[in-house]
Amino acid sequence: MSRQAIKVENLYKHFGKDESFVDVIQDASFSINKGELVALVAPSGAGKTTLLLMIGCVENPSSGKIWLGDEKVYDNKWLTGETRKIRREKIGFIFQSHYLIPFLNIIDNLTLLPQTNGTSDKVAQAKARELLKYFEISDKEKAMPSQLSGGQNQRVAIARALANNPQIILADEPTAALDMQRSVDVIKMLKKIALEQDVAIVMVTHDDRMLPYCDKIMKIENKTIIFE
Amino acid sequence: MINLAKEDIKHTLGKFIVTAMGVGMLLGIVLIMVGVYRGMMADAEVLLNDFNVDLWVVQENTLGPFAESSRVHEDLKYTLKSIQSIDKSEAVTFQNMQLPFENKKISVMAVGFDVYGDINPINPARLIEGRVLETDHYEIVVTDKTGFKLQDKITLGRNIYTVVGLTHGTVSSGGDSLVYVSLKDAQELQFSYSNKEIQNDRARGIINKDSHMVNAIIATTKAGYSVDSVAEDIRKWQHKSVYTREQQKIVLTKNVVEKASKQIGMFTAILIGVSTIIIALIIYTMTLEKMKEISIMKLMGLPNSMIIKMIVEETLLLGVLAFIFGNIFSHLIDDKFPKRIVLEIPDAWMLFGVVIIASIFASFIGVKKVINADPTAAIGG
Repeated sequence: MSRQAIKVENLYKHFGKDESFVDVIQDASFSINKGELVALVAPSGAGKTTLLLMIGCVENPSSGKIWLGDEKVYDNKWLTGETRKIRREKIGFIFQSHYLIPFLNIIDNLTLLPQTNGTSDKVAQAKARELLKYFEISDKEKAMPSQLSGGQNQRVAIARALANNPQIILADEPTAALDMQRSVDVIKMLKKIALEQDVAIVMVTHDDRMLPYCDKIMKIENKTIIFE
Repeated sequence: MINLAKEDIKHTLGKFIVTAMGVGMLLGIVLIMVGVYRGMMADAEVLLNDFNVDLWVVQENTLGPFAESSRVHEDLKYTLKSIQSIDKSEAVTFQNMQLPFENKKISVMAVGFDVYGDINPINPARLIEGRVLETDHYEIVVTDKTGFKLQDKITLGRNIYTVVGLTHGTVSSGGDSLVYVSLKDAQELQFSYSNKEIQNDRARGIINKDSHMVNAIIATTKAGYSVDSVAEDIRKWQHKSVYTREQQKIVLTKNVVEKASKQIGMFTAILIGVSTIIIALIIYTMTLEKMKEISIMKLMGLPNSMIIKMIVEETLLLGVLAFIFGNIFSHLIDDKFPKRIVLEIPDAWMLFGVVIIASIFASFIGVKKVINADPTAAIGG
């Protein structure tokens, strides 16, 4: 069984035509294995969100190839008619803010995606409870997001990203709104999740202090991807 | 499976119910407007139905007492009675009056008829207290809505009348309460003049004003005779117009209440349009409030159908709740209106259909917003 979680080959992305033509990513090729926590670092406007969205099957690349796990999902065109299904089944998202669905209680926030994937209510709830226990917020399963603290909500958001048993987690500056200590706690938690849950985590960050906790640092410099 | 609409409504239940109540009041007014129309149509036919006669003979080239002024001689009833095909015929008067009641005036329509005659317009089913008129003078039967009670005394013209009976639901085509007096009293009230006026008329050379005039002669035909052909025969007489019951009904609905009903119809259509726009705006606002969540749900991979289902279900529930509140509201206030409001179940079902169609139409705007929601809005700050 391959350890490969993400593989990208000769990926290009540009916007516009003629005079408004902008090259964002040029000939990006890399792979990330399961269990790795990878930091994606670049100045604002360098294309890190675009790269994250391309890996996340949200943004259309201009050309190239993308594998999620062993499945090739993009080869100069999406190989599936439904990219949302790929996202539902293979990818977990973590945002700058927790962005939990405010009208769903905590356990429903966690079971929504698995149930949409066809997992039975019972199995989805059992997995959600397991995750809430893992994140030490079991007593909050019936609470609404508005009744939880910021830190608790962020843990629920991470639990939600894991609820559909994803192969990869894409995290968009998950520590941006947190103080130093909490940021470190979240990064340690992500590191632990990557290892224990055997998922690849790609995390966009501007905070250099988080880099020592990551397995790889991926930078975008002059539109190309380099690893440190 | 989680029902997103149910959970969203549960989360903002108070706001949702208050919104539905607001829209419901609008729909209640729509029902009331339809009820006003139904009431007008029902009122217009009360007199016609209570008289229950086949023919109305009126002044030449007039539409009869319901639509315009008509005067014919009272003795015309004897001429009519002499026709083989006529069973009964009587003279009747109609007169708008102001009854004095507790320092105010009540607008009524007085119906005068021969107390001893063959046709009595007081429908026994509508008589709720007292009795019908039994003597030729100074008795009056009034509608309960006027506020009078049995044995109350009412001064009309030069005489005092005693209330001997109370009816319910008797109104003129204009919605005024009906009162019933004897033909002789009615003629006196309508055609008698003060001594001073008689003196004045005589000085002008006018003498012998005929007070034996009535507004119409009504008649029933004998069994086996065609009402239309009898009417056609009478129509050949000079100086008279004749209408069958059906023709009078058309006069009432077409000439008397048609404009009013069109006006009400316009108001109803506008109100339904306004309700649709308001529901659409509410749904649009509700969708806008959830745009961030919708973007996140789309980014995470939830299918559009699931999010659209939430929007459509919420819109339909809002419509149904508003419809229920509208019905409750309209039934709470229908008897507070001065004129009759007739709330009919088929009208309510028709409005329900309109509300459902309006809700589906209103949900389009929210659905369009969902389809166009950008999942990338959830990422990248």
